[in-house]
Formats: sequence, structure tokens, C-alpha cells
Amino acid sequence: MARKKSKFTLLMWLLFSGLSGGGITGYLIPSVPIIGPIITKLTAKGKTVAAGSGEILIDSATGLLNGQSPHRYSPSTAVAGQLASARQPANGQSQVTANTAAAGGRQGNGKLLIASFNIQVLGQSKISKPGMKELLAHVIRQFDLVAIQEVRAKADNVIPEIVAAVNTNGSRYNFVIGPRLGRSNSKEQYTYVFNTNTVEHDPSSKGTVNDPKDLLHREPFVTRFRARTQSPSQAFTFWMVNIHTDPDEVPEEVDALADVFQVMQKARADEDDVILLGDLNASEKQLARLGRIPGMQWTVRGVMTNTRQNKAYDNILFQGQATREYTGRWGVYDLESNLGLSRDQALQVSDHLPIWAEFSVWEAPAPTTTVGHSSPYN
Amino acid sequence: MSSADRLHNLTQGTAQERAEAAESLAQQGPNAAFAATELVKACGDEQAISDWAVAALEELGPPPTAAISSLAKLTGSDNAQTAYWAITLLGRAGREAASHQNLLAEILEQSGEISLKERAAWGLGRMHADSAKAVMALKQAALSQNERLSRLSGKSLQTQT
Repeated sequence: MARKKSKFTLLMWLLFSGLSGGGITGYLIPSVPIIGPIITKLTAKGKTVAAGSGEILIDSATGLLNGQSPHRYSPSTAVAGQLASARQPANGQSQVTANTAAAGGRQGNGKLLIASFNIQVLGQSKISKPGMKELLAHVIRQFDLVAIQEVRAKADNVIPEIVAAVNTNGSRYNFVIGPRLGRSNSKEQYTYVFNTNTVEHDPSSKGTVNDPKDLLHREPFVTRFRARTQSPSQAFTFWMVNIHTDPDEVPEEVDALADVFQVMQKARADEDDVILLGDLNASEKQLARLGRIPGMQWTVRGVMTNTRQNKAYDNILFQGQATREYTGRWGVYDLESNLGLSRDQALQVSDHLPIWAEFSVWEAPAPTTTVGHSSPYN
Repeated sequence: MSSADRLHNLTQGTAQERAEAAESLAQQGPNAAFAATELVKACGDEQAISDWAVAALEELGPPPTAAISSLAKLTGSDNAQTAYWAITLLGRAGREAASHQNLLAEILEQSGEISLKERAAWGLGRMHADSAKAVMALKQAALSQNERLSRLSGKSLQTQT
């Protein structure tokens, strides 16, 4: 622990002392088109590159979502479902100690840590700060899968560089990124960064939610993942719905997300797990119709999720009766206490903190009855 | 960096100083409201600066009353992003900016940028706009084939009831 602390002390010094460091490699990312009607067809093209090679893994996406081959996940030797060892105690508590033995991406206890992180203006200027890539890499490694919001960059090198930084310790993370979205010239991308040792991505599943009524400033970027286990047919599979709402139209957008969620629940007859997460610009008390979906659960309750500790706008939501893979453990990753940063230093990373929730790697059996609405398995 | 330094660098610094000032302001949340007008102007700067200016404005909340007049002038900026955020902040000011409702009504009627028309429609609702010009503009826009513009305009008309 002391060695890791001193390493981070060095990183923090580099970060804030103005010294330069690190090289830049660039990658091209094929655009992911905005599709519609909602998630019924994908026509994005790309190329497949081996995970962990330091290059982008982007798979061709053809055909319809419904009726996809069950073997659509990237081929790999099944990795034992060994995941992170005991993580931080949470359920409302911030992670106040840096327990690197419980770092995400390590294997052991059959659990997945899924996180959401709004990294304020994640672009070239941020990752060019000395030590910043390494710091973000460290944070990302705490989790198996991270939904990131606010990628703001003209060029396409930012996330590849961060993922390369994540993988400098031998990790095998990869990413999938969405299109640039927004009504003004300042556009954002959503991305998912995931540990390929513990999570598999369904390359045929990615897309941007169709929004014909233009209710959403930045339509959610959705895609599907599966826990990587020795028994893929029993592994937890789930949709991820990444969102960053417009702070000036929050009630309307949160209301629209209720429809988005319910559409995603029906997107595949064989997929009942939808995890909607991100910066909603709304506290748990402002979830309105989204929060009133029967059985809806959200993880963040009663704690702040921004660096200034005065807002709780980030959350992870799912339908509790469907997503019984949720273990009940969740948390907010405090940048200051975990990384020894001052408030100002933490704000240089982001004005939001990562939030996370833990899920079993094994798919829970389908419920026989559901309260309030008919079973999705009819 | 003091507030005065931030403001000075944002408006008169080198490109790097302007970017650093905008970034620093983006980290202040609503405490950056004193720089509202300058941040809106910075939306027309190079992307490395404007991205941070936009981030600051997203977190700013309503502008100070003293900035409303200068923001109103910026609604006519040739830079669409500057105009967009000027309109947005006027909308956030709500009734305090209602004296500028005819300005937003003109944007709603005449702007060639749909994003500006939409923001103007939204802003008029926030102002509870009730001038004849504003109401006429909203009624006209409520008939638009653009669903979002129509919806926003209709909703803004309801704020008068």
C-alpha cells in the first residue's frame, strides 16, 4: 500500500507541477451512426482488432438485434469468473480508503463492478495534463465496466490513449464509443470502457437511441455486455444505457428516459436486464415517471455524487425484479480520499465522482411473477 | 487564481491562459456566475477554450441580474454558440429577463438556426413572456412542422395561463 501511495504521490506531483510526460498515439474510430427506429437495425462498419493489443476493438455491426446468434460475443477462451476480491464496503458510504487489493478488474468473487463517471470535458487538454491519463487509468481499473460521459474532443485519440494507459499494467481493457451528439457546436460522446478479462461486449448491439421527437439533447448510447465466465450461457447479460441530460430541460428528458428504459426492456425478448446510468442532472427525488416504473431501483440514495459534494445527479437505475443480479452493494468513489487529492486537484479531474454498483456474474433465473405488470417472458 | 485573474485571463490572456481560465471557471460551478457574460463570449473562441466555457455555463445556473443586459446584446452574436448560450442564460434568468422577451421573440421568428429558435421558445416560457409580439411568435412557432419547436412553443404559451 505504501509503495502504491508513493507512486500516486508522484503522479499527483507530475499532474500538478506542470511537467510534461507521455506520448500520443492516434487511432481512427469509425463513426457509429444514429439509428432508428429504436435499436432495430445497425449498419455501423468497423474493423476487428484483437483486444489488448493497444488498438481499437471495433466489430462490424450487421443485421438485426432480434434473432441474433447466441454466439455473437467476441470469441475468446472463457475466463474463469474470478472477479474482484472484496471491494469497499458501500451501500451509501463513499469509498474513503484506497484499497487497491480490491481494485476492479481483478478476479475472484464472481462479481462485476459497473460504474458511471462524468469526466468533465474529457478531451485533449485534460489528458495532456501530466499524470492525468495515469490517474484516470487507475480509477477505471477499479471497475470492470465504466460508462463515461462528456467525451469532448474533435480528434479520436482521447479514449484510445486512456485505454492504453489503463493497459500499461497488463490489463486488457477495451472500449466502445458512440457518435458526437448535441444541439450546439459543443458535442459530446458517450463511451464504455471495459475489462475484457471480465466483461464481453456484444458488437452487434451498439447504437444510439432513436429520438424522433427530439426530446433528448444527447440520445443515450446503448450496447450489451456479458460477464465473462466459464459458462457463457449462464452469465449475466445486460443492456447499458448511457445518458447525460441537458441541465436546462431535465424534467422533460428524465420523463423521456422512462420511455427509453421501457423500450430497452422490450428490445430483445431474451434480455430483461437494462442498466440506465449516467449524469441525469436530477436527484433521486426528481426521477418522476422514470422512478415510478414498477420495480424501478436506483443505487444512489442520500449521498452526493459531485466533487463539491452538493449534488446527487449521477445514478444507476434498473428494474429490481428483472435485475436481481444486483448484490445490493454500491458506492461513490471519492477522488480526494482515495487518491490523496485536494478539492481543487479533484476538480481538475472532474466535477463529478464515479459511482458504482455491484452485480453477480451469473444470470438470475427469470421471475415467475412480476408485480404490477406482465412478465417480459410471455 | 482569483476571480479577477480568471476574468482577466479569460478575456485578455493568451490562448493557453484563456483556456486555463475557462477551465478554472468550469470547476467553480455556480460560483462562476460573475463571469457569465465573458463565458458566453468565450463560446466563440477556439474549441479548447469554448469547450470549457460551455462546461462552465452548463453548471452556472441563472446569471446575475447585472449581466442580463449584456447577455441580451449577445443574443445577436454571429457566433451561433455564443447566441445559444446568451439565450439560455436569459431563459434561466426567468422573469428577471422578461424585459427582453421581444428580443427572443424576434429570434424565434427570424433566426435561421433551429437551435436558436428552439432555445428562444424555451426561454420565452421561462420568462412567462406575455407581450403581444412574444405571444404571436410562440403561436406561430407552435404550428411549426418541427416537432420540438412546436412542442417548446406550445409549452411556453401555457406558462401564461
